[in-house]
Amino acid sequence: MAPKIAVVEGVRTPFIKAWTVFDHLSAQRLGAMCVTELVQRTGIDTERVDEVILGCVGQPIDAANVARVVSLMAGLPKSKRAYTVNRNCASGFEAVTSAVEKILAGQDEVVIAGGTESMSNAPLVFSKEAAGLFMKLQKARTFGERLSVVAQFRPKHFTPQAALQLALTDPTCGLNMGQTAEVVAKKFAISRQRQDAFALESHRRVIASRAKLREEIMTVHVPPKYAQSVSDDNGVREGLTPEQLAKLKPVFDRRTGTVTAGNSSQITDGACALLLMPEDKAKALGYAVLGTIAAYDYVGLEPSEMGLGPAFVIERLLRRTGIPLKEIGLFEINEAFAAQVLACVEALASKGFAQTNFPGRQAVGEIDPALLNVNGGGIALGHPVGVSGSRLILTCLREMKRRNVRRGLVSLCIGGGQGGAVLLERE
Amino acid sequence: MSGAWRITVAEGVGELIFDNPDSDVNVLTSTHLASLDRTLDELSERKDLRALIVTSAKERIFIAGADIREIEGITTPKDATDKAEQGKAIFKKLEDLPYPTVCVINGACLGGGYELALACDRRVASFSTAIKIGLPEVNLGILPGFGGSIRLPRLVGLLKGLPLILAGKMVTPEEALKNGMVDRLFPEKTLKTDALAYAVSLKGKGRSPRKKDLSTAFLEDTPVGRAIVYDKARKDVMKRTKGHYPAPLEIIRLVSRTYGRSGAGVYRLESEHFARLGTTEVSKNLIKVFFLSEKYKKHRWTDTPVKTDGVRRCGVVGAGVMGGGIAQLVSAKGLPVRVKDINDKALAGALAEAHKINQGALKRRRIKRHQLEGRMSLISTTLDDSGMGTSDMIIEAVVEDLGIKQKVFKGLSEITGPDTVLASNTSSLPVTRMAEVCRHPERVVGLHFFNPVDRMPLVEVIRAERTSPETIERTVLFARRLGKTVILTEDRPGFLVNRLLLPYLNEAAYLLQEGMPCTTIDRIAENFGLPMGPIELADQVGIDVGYKVAHILQEAFGERMKVASILEEVKKAGLLGKKSGKGFYIHDGKKRTPNPEVKTGSGSRTSAEDALKRMVYIMINEAARCLEEKVVDSAATVDIGMIMGTGFPPHRGGLLRYADSIGALPILKDLERLAKDVDAKRFEPAKLLVELARTGRGFHS
Repeated sequence: MAPKIAVVEGVRTPFIKAWTVFDHLSAQRLGAMCVTELVQRTGIDTERVDEVILGCVGQPIDAANVARVVSLMAGLPKSKRAYTVNRNCASGFEAVTSAVEKILAGQDEVVIAGGTESMSNAPLVFSKEAAGLFMKLQKARTFGERLSVVAQFRPKHFTPQAALQLALTDPTCGLNMGQTAEVVAKKFAISRQRQDAFALESHRRVIASRAKLREEIMTVHVPPKYAQSVSDDNGVREGLTPEQLAKLKPVFDRRTGTVTAGNSSQITDGACALLLMPEDKAKALGYAVLGTIAAYDYVGLEPSEMGLGPAFVIERLLRRTGIPLKEIGLFEINEAFAAQVLACVEALASKGFAQTNFPGRQAVGEIDPALLNVNGGGIALGHPVGVSGSRLILTCLREMKRRNVRRGLVSLCIGGGQGGAVLLERE
Repeated sequence: MSGAWRITVAEGVGELIFDNPDSDVNVLTSTHLASLDRTLDELSERKDLRALIVTSAKERIFIAGADIREIEGITTPKDATDKAEQGKAIFKKLEDLPYPTVCVINGACLGGGYELALACDRRVASFSTAIKIGLPEVNLGILPGFGGSIRLPRLVGLLKGLPLILAGKMVTPEEALKNGMVDRLFPEKTLKTDALAYAVSLKGKGRSPRKKDLSTAFLEDTPVGRAIVYDKARKDVMKRTKGHYPAPLEIIRLVSRTYGRSGAGVYRLESEHFARLGTTEVSKNLIKVFFLSEKYKKHRWTDTPVKTDGVRRCGVVGAGVMGGGIAQLVSAKGLPVRVKDINDKALAGALAEAHKINQGALKRRRIKRHQLEGRMSLISTTLDDSGMGTSDMIIEAVVEDLGIKQKVFKGLSEITGPDTVLASNTSSLPVTRMAEVCRHPERVVGLHFFNPVDRMPLVEVIRAERTSPETIERTVLFARRLGKTVILTEDRPGFLVNRLLLPYLNEAAYLLQEGMPCTTIDRIAENFGLPMGPIELADQVGIDVGYKVAHILQEAFGERMKVASILEEVKKAGLLGKKSGKGFYIHDGKKRTPNPEVKTGSGSRTSAEDALKRMVYIMINEAARCLEEKVVDSAATVDIGMIMGTGFPPHRGGLLRYADSIGALPILKDLERLAKDVDAKRFEPAKLLVELARTGRGFHS
């Protein structure tokens, strides 16, 4: 029998709204802080750590293979390995599941897996045409040549595009992520009121869980001034009212839309790191583990409905493992958009959805809202794309321990039309 | 018989190889110079050679310089002139060989070694990090006397050459290539073959003149320009040395008389200027200090077979300025370091301190941006014990309060294994008392850093009653890894440096209290050669900090360390020194003016000479007691400790070297007089001093 792969311990930075407190912190610096902290907290001998695998969607332009940069900055031996993974919004999952695969394949024994993302530092990009002119200008030798190049510049050449905006748009279906949420909202008729109520609950739960979340968060003293020390996620709004949410205009479909900034996840900076190894190895080293990765799966689906990813992948994962939904004590579905989470819950409970998509199968079952995202989610915490997957695993495992729950299921929708899910277990 | 020099010839190219048979190091002793002389005579006759390369047979050492022992042995100006003349006559023969010569630098190429290189037509080196090139003579109180003072500025120009000689700077091969000190760099593996090919490719002995931009041409080639350069150099030297060191000024004088001129006369001038320095006491003392500091870099304090410090992770408890400085130092060596304190504000402060030090290094281009980020990423912080248990070395740097320190040590000893060294950065509290509360007290030791941690080269390692030799050795090795010079002291109040420094500061306070103006007191100390006057130093350190240590010493040693009342008054008035903007002085940025709030006496009749004696002799007297009590092992340890720990002027040779230069008897007489006139307790002569005066011996003999 294949060994069980355990998550020994994990830690994350606070999730910080982009362009605020972590504005000057690069993804590599955030990641290094987090890995350093994990190594210190666990006391793991870095000679034992075979590999660092990190998810990162917006790879920093000044740190190719950011996982390797993080590994070295955190003082891991130079002889160790590191690579970066990108499965878009599920990159934080992919890092963990890749680690599991590496360990099971016998390539690695001990892995630090997680994610790092500085959405604040996503670059602005010039058009190909403008870039060509800049290159010509650099190559120009005489004053006359330079003048002739300068004369070709037009105002539009000086309007760069935000790489972040481009990254959040699906190049195959042409929709940006918010527009896909609108598609799902319309298909399942998820009203604006339900979305806003869900968002409000996300904020309420995060506020109620502050103390619990602090257990997984490391304090970051913010360089370069070190005038601020942050221990809490800063996207959550105290005293948010339904009226305030209701006042917001739809962002992605001004006239008929229901998806607003208030019921979508936030753009966020952060990092997360987990220590993985075979469970028996962890025991031999004297660790009390958080839990094990029992199973995982990814599926593909229609890109314009990417928000339904969790519904598809959860069905497949439970079918393959033969575990009924009711035996799962805790759920995390990443809150990319309130509309999409609500749609997934409906889809899983719907006979029609099952008949259409999984011919010959029953509906998967009802997820009790009281067991879903019990400590809030991406709407209040933010969704640093390369990190969220690892964060969901960490948050869920810690909550499973508190509630003494045997099984937990975490899932994500993935831009580009995929879904990912990980089944967690505790003894 | 040519001794250390060999010639081989292949395909018309000669190789002159230096291989000192008696040592791993190539040094130019007078014997080796004489044999070089004969070898060069032979070479000048060779008609079959079309080029010559000069190499070293030692791995990673070209020539480390002239023999410093011989320089130390120079006693008369004539002796000095002769030595310099002989050396440069030999190098002249090298220069005059009828075919092109290339010096192949494969390692340390310093002083006389680089002067030899300068006498060749070209210089090449490898990319090896072992290579250091330069003329560091000024650091020994002399100037390059084998033609280097003439040839270097001639080769690289006045603007680059003069500062190189004045600072005695040793540069990397890359820097040497950039500033023209070498002509080519080759990979270490193919250095010799590449050098040979380069030598063959040379068309002749001459070289084309350097290209200069307009401002360089003005400054180097016109009388007005040069006058500006010399004037600026003189001002810089005076600012840096306050005139205590004759060598740099002599170098400027020499270069101003020789730069831009040719002929044999300029070399003769170099020898004359060299002779003026070669016999000075300053030079003799600097040479002694050089040997001393070399010795203490490697000195073995125990005879345990421990070879490494075994530190892979380090903890620091206490996130003050010292804790932050220590964390920075440790992280700069690539070691992860965990800082613990009781609140986030302190932790952030330690990170800010470490960042500030790195930022300074970045500004001075000592490090690059990515190194700053890498270092800072190795420092983590914690409010609990996480990460401490797996540290191999934990340095405690909490407030100077024995009760709190004991609590910290007890806690640490319970979460760590017996192999974790627990070190206290206390400046004056008994380490033995901290060890008492610990499991495995044999791994408890003192490790006293000085402020600012990154700049001060000394640490005191303190042996508590039960500290094991292994613990001491590991701590010494760790401190050396951090780049520090170590002295070992016994666990007595104030250890060595503070025990000597505090009486000096205290005496300055007495002088102030008696009515001598603080600026006068500081000037007296600075004129003696100290980097900073005592009153200014007290303000820098912080009056509260100084007072606390002074008080601990008073409790330990009684009346002779009685704290001057003015210190207490100033502290009570909340004048804490530079950090609060006001102390004995009012500080405004870099400027300071005496603080009128400080109530002093008036009309002191103490002479400057007596004031200096009071401040310095009180240290000498206390040092004698430290030797009696075996706080440290030797007078040499006192000297290196005071030079590295307090900036005691190196040109005085160290505190006790200075005492020996005066003699125990005159010091004793003065102390007896001061005991009668000033204070019977403070100036009561130490037994050892009385003994030395009676037998006519010195601290060092």
